[in-house]
Amino acid sequence: MKLSLNWLKEYVDINITPQELAHILTMAGLEVEALEKIGDIHDKIIVAKVLSVRKHPKADRLSLCDVDTGFSTVQVVCGATNMKAGDLVPMALPGTELRGGIQIKESKLRGEFSGGMLMAEDELGLTDNHAGLMILPSELEVGRTLSDAINPLDWFYEINITPNRPDCASVIGIAREVAALTGQKLKLPDVQYREEGVPISEVARVDVVDPEGCPRYAAGMIQDVSILPSPFWMRYRLFVSGVRSINNIVDISNYVLLETGQPLHTFDYNQLEEHRIVVARAEQGDKFFTLDGQERTLNSEHLMICDGKKPVGIAGIMGGLNSEITDNSSNILIESAYFNPVTIRRGAKSVGISSEASYRFERGIDIEGVTYALKRALSLSLELAGGKINRGLIDLYPKKIEPPVIDLRVDKTNNFLGAEIPKSEMTSWLKALSMDVTEKDLNTLKVIPPTYRVDIAREIDLVEEIARMHGYDCIPETFPAIRPSDKADMPSLVLHDRACDILAGAGFSEIITFSFISPESANLLQAGENCPLRQFVKLINPLTTEQSVMRTSLLPGLLSIVKENISHGEQNLKLFEWGEVFFREDSNELPNERVMVAGVITGNYTSKKWHNETRPVDFYDIKGAVEVLLESIGLSNFTFERRISGESYDKNISCNICCGETILGTMGKIAKEVLDGYEIKTGALFCF
Amino acid sequence: MIMKQKLLEIRDRALSELGSMRNLDALEKFRVEYLGKKGHITSLMKNLGNIAKEERPVFGKLANDVKDEITAFLEKIIAEFKGKEEGGEKIDITLPGKRPLRGHLHPINQVNDEICRILVRMGYTIVKGPNVELDYYNFEALNMPKDHPARDMQDTFYVSKNVVLRTHTSPMQIRVMEKQKPPVSIIAPGKVYRSDSDVSHTPMFHQVEGLLVDKGVTFGDLKGTLTSFVHQMFGSDINLRFRPSFFPFTEPSAEVDIQCVICRGKGCRTCSFSGWQEILGSGMVDPAVYGFVDYDPEIYSGFAFGLGIERITMLKYGIDDIQLLFKNDMRFLKQF
Repeated sequence: MKLSLNWLKEYVDINITPQELAHILTMAGLEVEALEKIGDIHDKIIVAKVLSVRKHPKADRLSLCDVDTGFSTVQVVCGATNMKAGDLVPMALPGTELRGGIQIKESKLRGEFSGGMLMAEDELGLTDNHAGLMILPSELEVGRTLSDAINPLDWFYEINITPNRPDCASVIGIAREVAALTGQKLKLPDVQYREEGVPISEVARVDVVDPEGCPRYAAGMIQDVSILPSPFWMRYRLFVSGVRSINNIVDISNYVLLETGQPLHTFDYNQLEEHRIVVARAEQGDKFFTLDGQERTLNSEHLMICDGKKPVGIAGIMGGLNSEITDNSSNILIESAYFNPVTIRRGAKSVGISSEASYRFERGIDIEGVTYALKRALSLSLELAGGKINRGLIDLYPKKIEPPVIDLRVDKTNNFLGAEIPKSEMTSWLKALSMDVTEKDLNTLKVIPPTYRVDIAREIDLVEEIARMHGYDCIPETFPAIRPSDKADMPSLVLHDRACDILAGAGFSEIITFSFISPESANLLQAGENCPLRQFVKLINPLTTEQSVMRTSLLPGLLSIVKENISHGEQNLKLFEWGEVFFREDSNELPNERVMVAGVITGNYTSKKWHNETRPVDFYDIKGAVEVLLESIGLSNFTFERRISGESYDKNISCNICCGETILGTMGKIAKEVLDGYEIKTGALFCF
Repeated sequence: MIMKQKLLEIRDRALSELGSMRNLDALEKFRVEYLGKKGHITSLMKNLGNIAKEERPVFGKLANDVKDEITAFLEKIIAEFKGKEEGGEKIDITLPGKRPLRGHLHPINQVNDEICRILVRMGYTIVKGPNVELDYYNFEALNMPKDHPARDMQDTFYVSKNVVLRTHTSPMQIRVMEKQKPPVSIIAPGKVYRSDSDVSHTPMFHQVEGLLVDKGVTFGDLKGTLTSFVHQMFGSDINLRFRPSFFPFTEPSAEVDIQCVICRGKGCRTCSFSGWQEILGSGMVDPAVYGFVDYDPEIYSGFAFGLGIERITMLKYGIDDIQLLFKNDMRFLKQF
C-alpha cells in the first residue's frame, strides 16, 4: 500500500517524525518497507509569472518567456507550449540542483539567454504529467517557494498490508490504526451535500438476482456533470498511490477506493439500457470485453453487472468497454457494493485479473461502509464536476450481516501470553480500536468488533490485538520446560551424519542440487524405455522445462556440477550428494521418495605436489570409497556383482553393490555416451 | 723417561689432530686409533711392565690423565658436531606438509547441523517429512482453505490439483500432531519449494520448522526460546526484536528480526537501510489448527517457528548471492 503522509494527516493529527511513525506502524504489524521524501527540492522552486511568450528566433520548437520572479524579470527558454501570459508556473533558479543531479544555471540555448528552468509536474516528481508546464493556481503569490505555496514536503510510505488486515488497505484505515496507537482522534471527511436532482428511484432501478454473491448493492446518481481533468491535489495523491489519472469522475472513484477501502464503479447512465442494473451470474462460456480491451471467457462463478439487455461489468473485478465514462458523459451512476469474497476470488482467478477492487473484495470490505463511500463520491463529484446530485440512494441490503459478539477472558489471555495486563488496559486498547466493550463478569469482557475488522471473529483474534497494542516487547521472556524424549535419535539421521562425515574425511565434497531436473535427463543417462528412471513426477507449472520433473536419480545433478567445475579449471574432483529422489506411483497420490547418496571422482587421485607423483583415478578408487562408506555405516556383508541392465555406466567397468539379494546401488565408469551428452570433455568419470 | 715422553707426544698429537677433525666418522676413527683396544694409549699402557716399579704409579696416573684429557676433548668435539647437525638445515620445515585429502560438507548442511544442535540441546527431537505433499497438509490443515487469499503469500508448484511441492516445512506440524497426543517438541528440517527465482530467491531452499505444544506454553516462552536461539547462533550481543505479523496458522504471529550483521543496525544495502534482517517467522499455534488434529485448545497451547537456512547461512558467512549456494563451485565449497 503506497501512502502519502500529507494525505494521511488529513484524517489524523501526527505529532511525531516520519521515521517514528514508520517505526510505530512496523511494530504494530504494518511493516513499512520503504520511506522516501517527496519534493525536497520544493523549497528551491519559486512561483513565477509568465509575462509574455514569443517564439525562439532560431528554434521552431522553443519559446522565449519573460517571467517575473518576484524580484526581477528574467528571460527563460522553454520547450513547452501550454503556457500564456498571466499564467503562474514553477521555476527553478540558477544554482538549484534537480533530481538526477541536474544543475540549473544561466545558459544560452540556441543563441538565446535562459535564466532558469520552467518546470513540468513530472520533473518536480509530483505526478507523471509531462504534457506541458505545470500551471499553478492563479491566487498564489509570485516569488514564494513552491513548498510554501502549494505542496509542503511530503513523505512516501510503502506499507506491507498482511492478508488479514484488508481494513488497512486504505488511507482512512491506516489513519484509524495510527489514531489507536497514538491516542489521537480520527477525523472523517464530512459527506453532506445538496440534493437537487430528480429522485434516483424515478430514473434508475437495481435488481440483485443473486443476493448470496451480492449481499449489499447501493447506487447513487449525479446528473449534468462536466468531464474535466482532476485538480492537482487529487492527481498528486493518485500519483503517489500508483494510480493513473484519467478524468475527474473516474479519478473520484479511484480516489474514494484508496481513501476508504470501498471499491466503486461509475457508469455512464445514458449508456445503461433501460436505465437499470441487474446483478446476476454469468453462464458458462459467455464472452465479455473488459475495459482493458481483452476478451474474457466467463463461467457460472462470475457475478456480472448487467444493464437491461447486456453485461456491463464483471462485478467487483473489472468493468466492461461498453459503459465507460467518456468526455461526453453527463449523467453518472455510481455503484458501491459488497460482493462475496469467495465469489470474487474464484472469478478473478479464472480470468486472471487482479485489480485494486478485486484485491479488496477478496479479503473482505466493510459492509457498513458502503453508503458512506458512495456519499463521499457524490459529494466530491459535485465539487469537481458540477451538476446536480439526484435525491436519495438505492440501497439493497436484505439480510444485515451482524458482527460477532466475543467473550474475552482476562485470566486466560494473560496465562496464554505469559503477561499481566490489567483488565482496564485491555479495555482501553480495545476501545481505542473502536470495539464495543462491556463487562460480562469480573473476568470476562464482552466485545463487539467494528464491521471493518473482518479478521476478528474469535477470542484468540482479540488476544492478538491485546498483545500487539500492549507491545510484544513488553511481554517478558520465559523458557518452557521441555520433557526429554524417551526415544533414541532416528537411525536414519545417525546413519546420515556418520556417512557424510566419512565421505568428507575421505576427500569428497558435498554438493546440493535442485530436486527438479529436465525430463531429457533420462535420455542423457541412456535409460531404456521401461527403465524406472522414467517414472517422473511431473510439475504442472514448472519455472522452466529444465526443471519440470522431480529427479529419479542423483546422477544428472552430479554430472552437471562436474561439468561446471571442469569449465572453471577444476580437473580433479571428488563430489557427493545425499538427497531424495522421487518415483511416480500410479497407485498412490504421493510419490515414493527415496533417500540416496551418490558420488563422483574424476581427474587425478591427488593434484601434483612436490612430494609425490600423481595418477589418474580408476575403478578401484571408487570401489574403495564405496567399501569405506558401507563399512562406516555398519554394513559388512556387501558384495559386488555383475550388472544385467546397462544404463549410464560402461558395461565392462561397472557393477552392482549388493547386500544378499538386495541391490543397494551401482557404481563404475560412466559410459562415454553419457559424458558426450553432458558435454564433459575430460578423462574418465567414476560414480557410485 | 722415554715412555713418559712418548705419552706426552701421543697427547699432543691427539689434541692437534682433534682440532682439525672434519666429521663424526673421522672422530670415530680417531677414538678407535687412540683410545680403542688396540689404540695408542692402550698399547702404551701394556708396556707398563717395562717401567721401574717405583715409577709405575706416577706413570699410570699420567697415562690416565692423558686418556681423560683426550676423551674429554673428543667428547666436546663430538658434541659440537652433533649440535651442528641437529640444528642445521638438513630439513626444510617450510615445505608444505603432506596433507591427507579432506572433503567439505556443504555450508547449508553445516548451518543446518548447527541449528539442529542448538535446538536439540533445548529438548527438540528431529523429524523428517515428504517433499511432495498433499494440499491438505501444506495448506488446508494449516488454516488456509482453498480460495483463501493467504495462499497468495507463497507461489506454489503443483503436481496435481491436490498434490504440491511443499512451500514450507509447516506441514510437519500436522503430520506429527495427528499421530501423537501432546506434549510435542519437534524440529523438522527439510527442502521447500516456491515458484520464485531472482537475485535473492531460488526455487528450492531449506527451512527448519519448530513446534512445541503442551499445557501452559506461553507467548513469553516463545520469545525466550527464540532469543536464546538467536544468541547462540549469532552471538549474545546481537539485538533482536519481535514484530507483529500474520501467518494463517499462528495467532498471535511474530516475525523475529536481528540487527543487521553487516552494518550493526546503522543501515546498509543488505538490510535495505532498515538496520534489521528478518530471520524467523513464529507465533502461537492457531486454535483452528488444533481442530484438524483433535487437540483441545482449552487444555493445550503451543508455539511454532520457522527459519530459512539459506538466509542464515548468508548472514553468518557474509555471502551476498544466494545462487552461489547452488552453483556448487569447488572454489566456493572448499572455503567451508
